[in-house]
Amino acid sequence: MHAASQHLEPGKLAGQLPNSVLSKENRATQRIVHVDDDPDIRDTVKRILSANGYVVDSYQTMGDFLDSLRESESPPDLAILDVMVETMDAGLDAFVEIRKRFPQLHMIFMTSLGEEIRPYFTGVSDEWILIVEKPVEPVSFLSIIRSRLDNANNAKV
Amino acid sequence: MALAEFSWDASRNRFAFSNIGVTGSKLSDEVLVDNARWFIIFRWGVIGILILFQIVAVIASDTLTDAGITHQQGWPLAITLVLCIANIICIYALDSRRQSKYNSPSINIWAQIIIDLLCLSVVVHYVGSIATPAPFFYVLHIALSCIFFSAMESLIVTILVCVMYAIVLLIETPLLFLSPQSVLIGSGTSSINTHKIDILSWMFILDVLFVIVWYVVSRLAIVVRTRERQLLDAYEQISRAQVEKDRYAVLMTHQLKAPLDAIRSKINLIKGDYCGEVSPEIKDVILIIDSRASGMAGLILDVLKLERLKAAARSENAREHVNIEAVIRKCIDKLNPIASSRHIDIKVSIEDFVVEGIPNQLEILFENIISNAIAYSYNGASVEIASSVDRQRLSTVVTVTDHGIGIGDKDLPHIFDEYFYTPRAALHNRTSSGIGLSIVKTVAENNKLQIKVSSEQNLGTAFSIVFQGAKSAPVAEKSIQKPGSPAVHPANSQGESLEPVG
Repeated sequence: MHAASQHLEPGKLAGQLPNSVLSKENRATQRIVHVDDDPDIRDTVKRILSANGYVVDSYQTMGDFLDSLRESESPPDLAILDVMVETMDAGLDAFVEIRKRFPQLHMIFMTSLGEEIRPYFTGVSDEWILIVEKPVEPVSFLSIIRSRLDNANNAKV
Repeated sequence: MALAEFSWDASRNRFAFSNIGVTGSKLSDEVLVDNARWFIIFRWGVIGILILFQIVAVIASDTLTDAGITHQQGWPLAITLVLCIANIICIYALDSRRQSKYNSPSINIWAQIIIDLLCLSVVVHYVGSIATPAPFFYVLHIALSCIFFSAMESLIVTILVCVMYAIVLLIETPLLFLSPQSVLIGSGTSSINTHKIDILSWMFILDVLFVIVWYVVSRLAIVVRTRERQLLDAYEQISRAQVEKDRYAVLMTHQLKAPLDAIRSKINLIKGDYCGEVSPEIKDVILIIDSRASGMAGLILDVLKLERLKAAARSENAREHVNIEAVIRKCIDKLNPIASSRHIDIKVSIEDFVVEGIPNQLEILFENIISNAIAYSYNGASVEIASSVDRQRLSTVVTVTDHGIGIGDKDLPHIFDEYFYTPRAALHNRTSSGIGLSIVKTVAENNKLQIKVSSEQNLGTAFSIVFQGAKSAPVAEKSIQKPGSPAVHPANSQGESLEPVG
């Protein structure tokens, strides 16, 4: 997961300390969605995040997640999406659809290919996308999730 | 697999389909514009020759009159003017006016050809319509129209040429086609009759020549165009296959790496104490499993990277100005956790300079070389990265030096071979994929870099990357660097005083 950790800005994180205290209080209510077709990865992510006080909804397919988005009233605080679920482009297609319908939803992509998948994102979207390489490593994974949630909170305020 | 078969069929259909329309095909507007420009430049050359002719005529008029060439009529001047004006109008239409139905490159070339033919007819008239080389210059326009246009259009040009030549001859001898009976009238007209026969035979022979030239050159043009189209199709097929190949490689890589990632995610749960306490012995075993799995995951990703880099060598890449110091700092940021876990100190002393290259590839190159230097260092040692600028040869050398296990003389020539590794290296670094340096080699090839390696066993290795045509970085570019990078900052003169080992 070292590939992703370079994108974190240490200076910025330190400056947001008061906010992260605030987010600690909110943590019980923070809901994270995780989509991955690999049950072992789903289980690992759920264990790590649940142990740290987040509510995790796991889905096996993008279709299931999109259905849940349509039905639920409030979108999750963060979505962690696998890029290659079922087919190669399912993650990319879902990304485009979610961006269109829920522009505020924060998303992280998690894939075995890490940065090597990025060429497939060019042309799909101009916005900068955070890509985390598998395997899930608890310490850096949590720090990425926290910084993303903090960013999301800041954006809302 | 089914996907691959489908695209194979599709491409074959495409290929067959494109072959049908080739014979009647026209050149694209882009090519026509190029041709129109070339035609204009060619005409400037003709104008130059005409002007030269007039200068010579002024200087040596007597000699020319003696040689039988008269220039009193002033036609060269008129033609020079007409051609000049035509050229200027054509350039204006090409460059300054928007392309429309009435201003297409094709119309532009047509106009040029017609004006040329008219001018040439005037020249033919004054220089001599028969028994002089002048009419043969019509051939040039027929050949050019065959190159520019379809076979039908160039046939029209050929007919136009025949008609114009006939008109020129007719103007000179108005009674040309009324001659047959006159043979009988009297002996006085016999010389005129032979003259007429002469003219008619010239006209016939030249017309036959024009048609033959049209046939041969248009045939040739069709063959060339067919080949051109086939090449284009083949190129398209190759690039499509390249995309398919990359998709396949990505899919394979994913399928191979995903189970490993699941295993390693579970291992990380144990390492992170999410499964309760485990005994130190089990933890040790888990660490070894993880390190081997991570080596394998690295290999799988490296194979994909190498494939992509090799494919990149065949395609056009956008070369940009790359600030090498920024690239190296980024690599060090990435590798610092590994280095510090083994207490290896990275000392950097790089002059700011910019080279032409493919940014992400240069990053891969330095990441591999620096991570090798770290991997094959002894714990607690140091790795030095230094640059030296050779202002005379306009080259800059970046040297990455370690004080690790080194490379034996026997192995040194093979280090860039794919999957090459030495038992010594494997013993020191179990997670090596064996293709890190193949990746470095491919990047060096793609970016036209030279790499020098010097090494001595048990003392260390120095990799020197030679950048040709490096420029010192402009001040503005410095701001791109990441501020507050945790990397070790230049260790003053220490880095520069280092000599490559061995």
